[in-house]
Amino acid sequence: MGKLFAGAVLLAAVAAVVTSAHAQTQQDLLRDGNGGSTDNVLTYGMGYHQQRYSPLKQIDRKTIKRLVPVWNASLANEFGEQGQPLVYNGVLYTANVKRVVALDIATGKQLWMVPLEWDPAVARIVCCGLSNRGVALYNGKVYVASLDAQVRALDAATGKEVWKVKIAEWKEGYSVTSAPTIANGVLMTGMTGGEYGVRGFVDGYDPETGKHLWRRHTTAGPGEKGSDTWPKGDAYLRGGGSTWITGSYDPELDLVYWGTSNGGPWTAVARPGDNLWISSVIAFRPKTGEIVWGYQWTPADTYDFDGNNENVLADITVGGVKRKALLHADRNGFLYALDRTNGKLIAANPYVRVNWAERIDPASARPVETDVAKRLRAGEKVEVRPRWTGGKNWMPMAFNPETGRLYFAMLDEASVYQLNKELPVYKAGERYMGVENTTAPRKAGEPWGYFGALDPLTAKPKWKVPLVELPSWSGMLVTAGGIVFSGKASGEFVALDEDSGDILWQFKTGSGINAQPITYTYKGRQYVTVLSGLGGGTSSKRETEGKVLPGGSVWTFALMQD
Amino acid sequence: MSAQDKFEPSRIKDGAEMYARHCAPCHGTRMANPEGAADLRKFPRDAHERFVNTVTRGKNQMPPWGDLLKPEEIESLWAYVATGGG
Repeated sequence: MGKLFAGAVLLAAVAAVVTSAHAQTQQDLLRDGNGGSTDNVLTYGMGYHQQRYSPLKQIDRKTIKRLVPVWNASLANEFGEQGQPLVYNGVLYTANVKRVVALDIATGKQLWMVPLEWDPAVARIVCCGLSNRGVALYNGKVYVASLDAQVRALDAATGKEVWKVKIAEWKEGYSVTSAPTIANGVLMTGMTGGEYGVRGFVDGYDPETGKHLWRRHTTAGPGEKGSDTWPKGDAYLRGGGSTWITGSYDPELDLVYWGTSNGGPWTAVARPGDNLWISSVIAFRPKTGEIVWGYQWTPADTYDFDGNNENVLADITVGGVKRKALLHADRNGFLYALDRTNGKLIAANPYVRVNWAERIDPASARPVETDVAKRLRAGEKVEVRPRWTGGKNWMPMAFNPETGRLYFAMLDEASVYQLNKELPVYKAGERYMGVENTTAPRKAGEPWGYFGALDPLTAKPKWKVPLVELPSWSGMLVTAGGIVFSGKASGEFVALDEDSGDILWQFKTGSGINAQPITYTYKGRQYVTVLSGLGGGTSSKRETEGKVLPGGSVWTFALMQD
Repeated sequence: MSAQDKFEPSRIKDGAEMYARHCAPCHGTRMANPEGAADLRKFPRDAHERFVNTVTRGKNQMPPWGDLLKPEEIESLWAYVATGGG
């Protein structure tokens, strides 16, 4: 794992980067989760590869019984905590939709706090929960996006604003819920708004000044590759393809991998064709935004399956040959492995119950749609599996390079779904969907979903833990200590045995957990941090109403000392 | 007099259309099984003023709609909600 991007470190050594004892350089970012200091967590996904794997093993199957909270800090937020904190030089930086805070790792004391204020009407154009999934760190600055589509650079020592840019107009349906990222010296941000007739994009900025460098639209316009997958006219301008989960990065290939959302409107009847690059992954150059390749998970998406779920970069053995893979569990119910050098399909298998497609055809790399899909597209009301929220939603999976397994929370529900007879009329900043979607009843005792450990090439589970009481919308973290950390909507922070799925340890935090745990060292001691705070997701009321209360806070754990 | 009798059918129909566009994604299709917002089937039918204030100005996670919807449109939404979907 440490050698995964070894060449990239060399690349960084020759790159012109500003170095300072108190600043995170491009080299620091390259080594994060890749042989760098375990004192720091500098990137979304605990490494550009987003493997969410840590080589730390002080906390293991034997010692975990001594894992105890060392501090808790309120975030005074009832909207929900989905963020992944970052850690640098003994300071933890984290964000939610209302504020950014810097906390002292040793004590949990607040070093600074910066409010993120936005017009309450912005909530009208955020489809699925008011959220902020985290910050980026680079050269002594903290970067954060706010719900009203602004990106700020803050001084990491003081929180003082260095610059602020508005990336788009929220009144036209654009907002941001994802963490920014910096690769090859460029600050990038995605956006959301796929339910409001936006045209998706990723933007590149100069991290020092906030100067806009480039915009990569995700719907192909006239003259661009894929424009023939859109109807004649200007449908691509309202065609969706938002980019609401942070991309991963391979420094050796110098490619950023970013997922894109459903088309606009949801009903594909309004936009005949495959509609590149909606519900896809695009691989592009961070310096220019130039697309090198793309792969569409769900051509002509009419299901709201999106394609935003994280893309984990891992070098895996396929038929005796080491491949540079990109692993992705799509909302559409298939677990994919692509060759990340060129976007070619290696494998795709269903990991939950799927009824809209029989399989992903290896020759064409396209789904073979079933009669259910055909009837849906023809206007019938049908039961679709997975539900539009997917077999897995945004909550990120973890990959252990030692075992080659993926760990994630699965959702296993069905929708009752119908395309409206009348196509929606576009009005800026208003819903643009054109479907009627409800949830199919579950049988008594049937699980909402599962925690599971899966083989990335076959989707076969090593183990699955049914989630009967509530579903989980929590990310995962796996460690060399054999522990998988995750959370429950009922609030328990849980540690599972990565071999068996057995719950080895749990601790009830203040609210539900739907966030992203991290682990790191401080003065030689392994720490684990997770945010607690129910909400930020699209279905939390339906799932948890009357059972769990919101209220955000940061929980940090370590082994009890003598 | 039943709730339905208090409202013109055309007003309830207008409210249903607006509800489907703006409200259903969070409050549930035809007010059933809300995804991420309050269950309006449980909204008190005698709380007209509270309904109008909440829609106009917002409350907690409910955004304000006063700059997008006209007062009479909010009345149509009320007709739809107060009649339990007509």
